Amino acid sequence: MRPYLGLLRMSTRRILTYRLNSLILWIGGATFLAGSLAVWHALLSQGEIGGYDWDQMKAYLLIGWASGAIGSAYGDWWMADRILDGHVATDLTKPLDYQWARFSEHMGGLATEFIAIAIAATAIVTFTGGMVVPGPVQALLFTVSFLLVAPLKFAITYITTMACFWTQNFMGVSWAKDAIVTLFSGALIPLALLPAWLAGPAAVLPFASITATPAALYLGQATGWEALRLLAVQAVWILVLWWGARLIWRRALRALTVHGG
Amino acid sequence: MRRTLRIYRRSLGAHLRAVLEYEADFWILVVAGLLFQVLNLIFLSAVFSHVPALNGWSFPEAVLLAGTYGFINGLGPLFFEGTWRLAGKINHGELDYPLTRPAPVLVQVVSAGIGMHGIGDLIGGGAMIGWGLANSDIYWSPLRIGGALVLLAGSATILLSLIVLGNAASFWVGGNHPVFAMTLIRTGDMAKYPLSIYGVAVRAAFTVLVPYAFISFFPASWLLGKESAWIGLLTPVVAVYCVYLARLVFRRGLRRYDSAGH
Repeated sequence: MRPYLGLLRMSTRRILTYRLNSLILWIGGATFLAGSLAVWHALLSQGEIGGYDWDQMKAYLLIGWASGAIGSAYGDWWMADRILDGHVATDLTKPLDYQWARFSEHMGGLATEFIAIAIAATAIVTFTGGMVVPGPVQALLFTVSFLLVAPLKFAITYITTMACFWTQNFMGVSWAKDAIVTLFSGALIPLALLPAWLAGPAAVLPFASITATPAALYLGQATGWEALRLLAVQAVWILVLWWGARLIWRRALRALTVHGG
Repeated sequence: MRRTLRIYRRSLGAHLRAVLEYEADFWILVVAGLLFQVLNLIFLSAVFSHVPALNGWSFPEAVLLAGTYGFINGLGPLFFEGTWRLAGKINHGELDYPLTRPAPVLVQVVSAGIGMHGIGDLIGGGAMIGWGLANSDIYWSPLRIGGALVLLAGSATILLSLIVLGNAASFWVGGNHPVFAMTLIRTGDMAKYPLSIYGVAVRAAFTVLVPYAFISFFPASWLLGKESAWIGLLTPVVAVYCVYLARLVFRRGLRRYDSAGH
């Protein structure tokens, strides 16, 4: 356990070293959130759309943004860079489990991410006048599901990043993944508003557990057994992807080419 | 001038050949670029299936606006991608090489790379423009076609200038990644929707402070004959101003460059 906690701390420090960088990136994220709030404010000025009024949409957008922000440190880029330039060879010699080590690195951003989310939430409450507050049960369900988002996103990112064993360019892969996750998680637009040919795949893919599930629990759209079912789906996807990643990792190692020494 | 253009073309061509060596990467990037334009389209079509208009903009008009923004944004990676590597060059002291070569530093910097995702943006954005134009109510005349092309060129100039401007900030910000430029350009993404949906502060900032609105909103407003359409005609003037500003900031920054001291 200790070495992994060490990696996590190191990753946090690494992020804090480039404070200005992180700050500017967060400002970029905040303007994105402000932009979507403005778009939806204009859209919802004539009445609700698909069951979402302005108050609910505000909460939805915040959760969508927060679920995009959490667990999104630079861990995937560090991993990709080390695979592409061959440094991964030294990672393999360390007496650590590669997947757990990368997981620790990814989670190094959590502290700064929670602070940023808190600031964004405060700003929205302040400038747009209030926020929907769920009951205690729904709040608890939401908290559990939101915490599960971090490992789920890690598993998806980790599997995607392993594409670097086969391609030379991580940027395109990362972008394509971001586009797909944004669409099918519900971060682009609530899944209920998608046309049927997209809502169908969205319902069976793991991405809905990233944004749609925590949002449904927060807004009270899923209660009781339905809420527990959603949490179970989330947990099952984490396990499936976590162990699936191990299978891919075994194949990926065989594809690894490192030139020179 | 001709020599400069030739250097630019040769440098870009060299990077193009290098990029095309990796065929799989080429396709991944093109598809990734295209996916983002498709996302915009899905968002708009999902929204407009529930509302008839967004602040007076119909679905085809909104698609035209978003498509223009996407198309213009595709030009950055295709023609100015090298600019994004400026921060890394400063950080590693690699700007020494362009400085010692007998060619303008800025030209060497902007042509030091090519991003194939721009092709995806051009295809996606272009298709959206075409569909939007075909389904919007526009009275076409030779003057209008000419005007539209001039404004499009102006928009492209503004965006490319902003890319140079934002990346030149790396001379002051430091660090390995061009975070300032990323934020500057990403904030502009708000301009893919009609500007009128935003509050007064954003509208003012996007018009006067950083002229994102001239990249797509004002030119499209002129073409569609929206409210205060004449502002769109200022696009070339704003473009000239942006070029001047980008050059100035880059030169100022270059003077601050102090290598890495190997």
